[in-house]
Order: sequence, then structure tokens, then C-alpha cells
Amino acid sequence: MATQIVMDRTGDTRHNFDAKNADALLKAEERFTELTGAGFTAAVRTTSGEAVVKRTFDPNAEETLFFPRLVGG
Amino acid sequence: MLRQLLRNAKERLRLFLSECGRRARVLRVSLRRQPDRIDPSSRFAPGFRYGYWEGEARGLELLKEWLSPEQFAQYDANSYFEVTGCHSGKRYRISHGTSMNIHELDGAGRPRVGWCFAPKGHLVAGDVMLAQKIALETDERGVLAVANKFFVQTGRRNTLLHH
Repeated sequence: MATQIVMDRTGDTRHNFDAKNADALLKAEERFTELTGAGFTAAVRTTSGEAVVKRTFDPNAEETLFFPRLVGG
Repeated sequence: MLRQLLRNAKERLRLFLSECGRRARVLRVSLRRQPDRIDPSSRFAPGFRYGYWEGEARGLELLKEWLSPEQFAQYDANSYFEVTGCHSGKRYRISHGTSMNIHELDGAGRPRVGWCFAPKGHLVAGDVMLAQKIALETDERGVLAVANKFFVQTGRRNTLLHH
């Protein structure tokens, strides 16, 4: 089971999906496009634990984290 | 002059506490009148939500999942952790918080200058610190270009340097 984690004011919202299911994968890709289009950054963790930013949807990512656009405080 | 500053600060604190007390009284009265009208998802006091602590806890859990073992140990012991900027190799200290919580460190590990940036919107502290960590580790130049810089405290007031 793969997960897309979207940061929000409640902490986060998690969308779990079966990466082997074509429909679920398509929906996950649409969510990725929609969020990154809205300014969110998508990041995944490598096996060594390092964070990597993804500009395109990675169907093999087990966990993708989305956080809103960064602005000066 | 110092006395005057202290007097002003004391007066502001008094006003702030009195306003907090007033709001608490209003809230208590309104809840007593309409006990069944509390919607868990709604805001019932400015800046505070029902379920606030649950959100904070969830944010911290997520942060801890993404920290390296060294960063996790550091955060657990000191409420801050350090990251390395991907472009300059500089070290940054991210302290628990949501704003003005990033310090660039010098070679001796002392705070040199502060940086302020955060994800847009109202996010919990764990989420903010995680976004700051990922940004510095993957797009240091990009994020510092939008950040505001501030002097670190050296016994005098912090001053914002507009970028």
C-alpha cells in the first residue's frame, strides 16, 4: 500500500492507495499533479533516509510527502 | 530608559492578560449557554481549535519519521536538530517552532545569522520544521532566496533584515 501525505492544519491528511491498481494509480497521479500545480512540493525518502524532491509522479514511491509553498516569514 | 521600557512591557503584558481573561470569560459563558453547539472541527476561539494538540502531536510524529537517527537524537535531547545545506554545505539549526527558528551556524557551531521561512498557511510546528529541513537539504539557494534574514540575539533585540 502506497501513501500520499499532505500537510494541512490538522497535521496531515493521508491518502492510501494500491499502487498495483491502475485506477488508484491514476487517481494518485492526478492528486500529485493537482497539488504540485497548486504550489506544493512533493518529496520522497530514499532507502538511506535522504529526502528527494520529485517534480513528476513516481509510481514506485511508497510514501510521498506534500508541503505547501515556502514563503519568507 | 531601561525602566521606561520595562514599564511599557509590563503595561502591555497587563493589557494582554486582561484581554485573555476577558476572552476566556466570554467563551465560558457562551459554552455554558450552548453546550451542544461545539463543533469539533470549528474554531471556537481565535488562534485555537478543538483538536489542536492532536494535530501538533501528529505533526511531530511525521517529523520524527523523516529525521535521520542523528537528527532525531538531537531533537529529542535539545528540541532542535541540525541540517546541512545542499548547495553551500553550511550547517543550519532548526529549533522547535514555526517562525524565526532557523539559525545558520559558523564553523564553531555558534549561531551566526537567522533565517525565517515557512510553508504557506497555518501548519503545526512539526510540519513546519519538516518542510524547513527538506527545503534546506534539497533546495537551499531557492529557499534562502525567499527567506527573511535576521540577526541572532547577542544581548540586544533581534532585528529583521528585509531581504
